[in-house]
Amino acid sequence: MRFLLISIYFILVSCGSYPKNQNFHLVSSASKNIVNPYFSDESIDYVYKTSIDIYNNSFGGLLIIKKVDKQEHRIAFTTEMGNKLFDFSFNGDSFKVNYILDELNKKILINMLNKDFKVLITENLHVSNSFTEDNNRIFESTINNKKYYYYFNKNQLTQVVRANNGKEKVAFLFLEISDNIAEQISIKHNNIKLEINLKSITQ
Amino acid sequence: MRSIVFLIFFISVMVQAQTKMSAPEAQSLKTLVKNQALTTKTISSDFTQYKHLDFLSNDIITKGTLAFKTPNLVKWEYVDPYKYTVIFRNETLYINDEGKKNQVDMGSNKLFKQLNSLIINSIKGDMFDDEAFNIEYFKTDTNSLVYFIPKDKKSSKYIDAFHITFNSKGDVVEVKMIEPSGDFTKIVFTNKELNKPLADAIFTN
Repeated sequence: MRFLLISIYFILVSCGSYPKNQNFHLVSSASKNIVNPYFSDESIDYVYKTSIDIYNNSFGGLLIIKKVDKQEHRIAFTTEMGNKLFDFSFNGDSFKVNYILDELNKKILINMLNKDFKVLITENLHVSNSFTEDNNRIFESTINNKKYYYYFNKNQLTQVVRANNGKEKVAFLFLEISDNIAEQISIKHNNIKLEINLKSITQ
Repeated sequence: MRSIVFLIFFISVMVQAQTKMSAPEAQSLKTLVKNQALTTKTISSDFTQYKHLDFLSNDIITKGTLAFKTPNLVKWEYVDPYKYTVIFRNETLYINDEGKKNQVDMGSNKLFKQLNSLIINSIKGDMFDDEAFNIEYFKTDTNSLVYFIPKDKKSSKYIDAFHITFNSKGDVVEVKMIEPSGDFTKIVFTNKELNKPLADAIFTN
């Protein structure tokens, strides 16, 4: 009986929305648009030393991000020794694989990277709801029909969360921010054992 | 008019800067490099790596040191802007990524084995294998430049060509690996010392 009650409780909780589960307070917001500034400067070659931990395997390399045009970003990944592993183009809503090593050419991996990287480079977002929680302002927005929550602390974007069925699926953390460059970025997946850590070596 | 003169001038300079070698010149370079490779027991050198991606404004520059000991111990140590060491020893790749240690068994991986022998051969410059490469010889002002173009379809998917620059002594001063997309990795060697005693312990992680 108790088990049943607990189960029902969890079902009810998990059916709630992400803001509700996180105890966010809905506010009527003046901001209808927000900006992610971290990969928005066309004059900068963004280079990050990267480690990827996936199911107890760990490998590293350099993640290279460049805004090449108003609507277009290139994202490439190389090993520390310079071998290119993949090279993607994001142009507006379109996504293109310019190159990927045969061994990595798996649809499930490409889709996941596409989804994660799209969040990193999407600059202008339309706000559907806004909330507060402690010192954070949180803005709900949508990328490719998925709900995202953008956390701002003192007008600085510190976190983005992708939520589904009221639960956090992926969290993007932006740390040590100076001059619109996040010196460290961490991408944590909760449904699979995957964590990507980026450390800026932008020259 | 003046611009045309300049253009012609620059084209002729470019042509002069790199001319094809005659067959005897190519043969004597080959002999020089092979002899140099045979007498080279160890190499220690600084290097600067330039990763060129066409869409970037600047090449990504990394620096470090290289150690090589015959027959097949190689250590690449990147020190700036990050610390990363990779050691090729026996059939294993030992990686130290800012303190995080990892090893990859190359025994089962043909690609890694090929990569390893390519690395060793390109450090020594001894890649004159007509079976594996189409080879073209050029001379520049003071150096020699050799293009090695892989014949094997599988390699040519990753690498369009190796361009290796030798100094007058037959030492490798620069290796450029060009990808089919045109992006490339260029490694320039400086402060190179040959046959300085290197302990095996250097090649442990």
